[in-house]
Amino acid sequence: MVWFYLERIFGYWPVLLKGMGMTIGLSLLSLVIGVAIGFGFGIIRAGRNRWAARALGLYIDFFRATPFLVQVFIVFFILPQVGIELSAFAAGVVALSNMAACFIGEIVAAGLKAVPPGQSEAALASGMTRAQQMRLVVMPQAVRIITPSLVGQFVLLIKDSSVVSAIGLLDLTRSGWLIVQSVPNGLLVFGIVGVGYFIICYPLIHLSRRLERRGQAAFL
Amino acid sequence: MKNLTALACAAILTGMAAVATPAAAGTLDDILARGELRVAVQTQGPPFSFMDKNGQRTGSAIELTTLMAEEMGVKVVYLDFDWDGLLPALMSGKADMLAADMTPTLARATKVAFTKPFMYVGAVAFAKQGGDIASVEDCRKPGTTLAVLLGSTGEKLAPKVFPEAEIKSFKGGGTLILDAVASGQAKCGLNDNSAVKAQAAAYPEGTFTIFEEMLSKEPLAYAVRYDSMDLLTWGNLFIDTVTLDGRLDANLDYWVNSDAWKADH
Amino acid sequence: MLGGLNTRVMLEYLPEIWQGFLATLFLSAASFVGAMVLGVLACALAIQPLRWLRAPAVVYVDAIRATPLLAQLYFLYFGLPRLGVVLPEMLIGIIALSLNSGAYMAEIIRSGILSIPRGQVEAGMSTGLSYLQRMRLIVLPQALRVTVSPLIGQAIVLIKDSSLLSLISVVELTRAGQRIAIDRFMPVEGLVATALGYLVLYYVLKSAAGAWQARNSLPGRG
Repeated sequence: MVWFYLERIFGYWPVLLKGMGMTIGLSLLSLVIGVAIGFGFGIIRAGRNRWAARALGLYIDFFRATPFLVQVFIVFFILPQVGIELSAFAAGVVALSNMAACFIGEIVAAGLKAVPPGQSEAALASGMTRAQQMRLVVMPQAVRIITPSLVGQFVLLIKDSSVVSAIGLLDLTRSGWLIVQSVPNGLLVFGIVGVGYFIICYPLIHLSRRLERRGQAAFL
Repeated sequence: MKNLTALACAAILTGMAAVATPAAAGTLDDILARGELRVAVQTQGPPFSFMDKNGQRTGSAIELTTLMAEEMGVKVVYLDFDWDGLLPALMSGKADMLAADMTPTLARATKVAFTKPFMYVGAVAFAKQGGDIASVEDCRKPGTTLAVLLGSTGEKLAPKVFPEAEIKSFKGGGTLILDAVASGQAKCGLNDNSAVKAQAAAYPEGTFTIFEEMLSKEPLAYAVRYDSMDLLTWGNLFIDTVTLDGRLDANLDYWVNSDAWKADH
Repeated sequence: MLGGLNTRVMLEYLPEIWQGFLATLFLSAASFVGAMVLGVLACALAIQPLRWLRAPAVVYVDAIRATPLLAQLYFLYFGLPRLGVVLPEMLIGIIALSLNSGAYMAEIIRSGILSIPRGQVEAGMSTGLSYLQRMRLIVLPQALRVTVSPLIGQAIVLIKDSSLLSLISVVELTRAGQRIAIDRFMPVEGLVATALGYLVLYYVLKSAAGAWQARNSLPGRG
């Protein structure tokens, strides 16, 4: 019985593959952009300029608090009103990397604040510039603290990417929904979709474990 | 600060209200000028709109709208949305028309314009074969769990026809409620006859008993924006035309009233 | 721009929205407690020295984090009945959310614990504290401070993830908003109402965390 269904599900492999490609492409692109902006956000949030930190805090709050579907809709349906017309894929990337940047920003800020101030004072005493302090002393320690949360966030991002099917993109989850209409074994179909996500996410989790171990060895 | 935050957030949110209407030069003119009819569909399952064995989008609603574009002399472009995205797509002008198996209701028609109905469906109840539900009457028993689909005609009908049942509304596709009944999470299911028949066929023979009694009669229609009265008029004429020349019946006989499509898709 | 938003209809649905809000609050609170328990447990297993006890914790954390909540929910909802276990939707939802968030929480708490300098643990050892005492008196109080912010982040994700339960017929905040979209064809009103509900939950959570942090802050550690 299971084989009968499995065979039919794998008959849909082009759809599954297409969905998986979309999920990978969308998440990867958003991840890179999100990390870049997110670290910037984090530095501002933990920085000395109170007003900049607060204003950015408002922005981040909004995007952390509202459902991702709302954000996708803002980008896809509202931005055209002010003259920014984006394709569904571009809208997905913009919404996803923006939300990722907001979550990553808060994680980075928390990490930066967790580094004892003595560290940057020592760096200051040894004549480093502010940028050098950040790059050589504070950030490496913060990154070590936040790596697991950060990877958790990456993985969440990959899975949040499934919301973009609301604006017509065929991602891995959506391909599952399409297949389940013709092969009505949801357990099996979403089991396979789950395996697809596992293939994407697990290497990331594994990598973070190794990075973490290396960081610790250097630290101890 | 808190107040300011809340205010700012509210302001951004109300920005969403700006999903307003684009320039009202005439939707048909726009369609002809760009050479494509943009139809928002929901790939919700056979027989209306689904993906066949070859990964091709097909179904009754798809073939009818393709025909529509042919008669207009333009290409058809399908925008495949979730239920959540369908209406915003229409209202923001990304799509010219909605072709999902949508029931026109008076409440809904205060927001969008519906064409004439192009067909009628009825809700039927079903249950797991060999279980303790042998008739529609059994579904009416107090406390019986009844699976319906969010926003479907079945959901609307359920409290009237099964006032004592415990109603569970699922969101997703029609197969979800079949799964719920098959796995025992609900005793009975209620959905459009054509959808139930088409989707139950994919299960092993003898999984479900479908009770033939039609519990309702509901029209299905296309939807356009109220600033597209030209397209609405044209759509109504289209439905009249294909009704008269038999092409509508041919479509429905193939997709909805028989299992003929299963051999090809 | 404001004119486009029908606040009157939103108010008409206020009872539904309120019900949904309470349901989301309850679901998230219950799942948060469940997730914390699972998270602390999995984390404790993952950092203790016995390899054969570590393995199940690592498998749990990795398997959950690498697969989507949707698949997990499906597995519990449609899979358990095949083993003869039929549970109410609400309970399945809370179990699924707890299991899911628990894995992320375990990692967050673990990273907090690992951020405690080893010297402190060694100092605890030399003063004769047992493993549990070291954990309770030295490591955890400090680790919690570092982890509050990411834990709040995870709680927010949890609250928003609870909207997925709408799939298996649990009525919560997102579903209440969908009602407006489906009955009245006013998706924007539905989404705005939903988003406002989540914003309120967010600020409640955030100010609670802020109060906690203010009370327990240490010099030099956020």
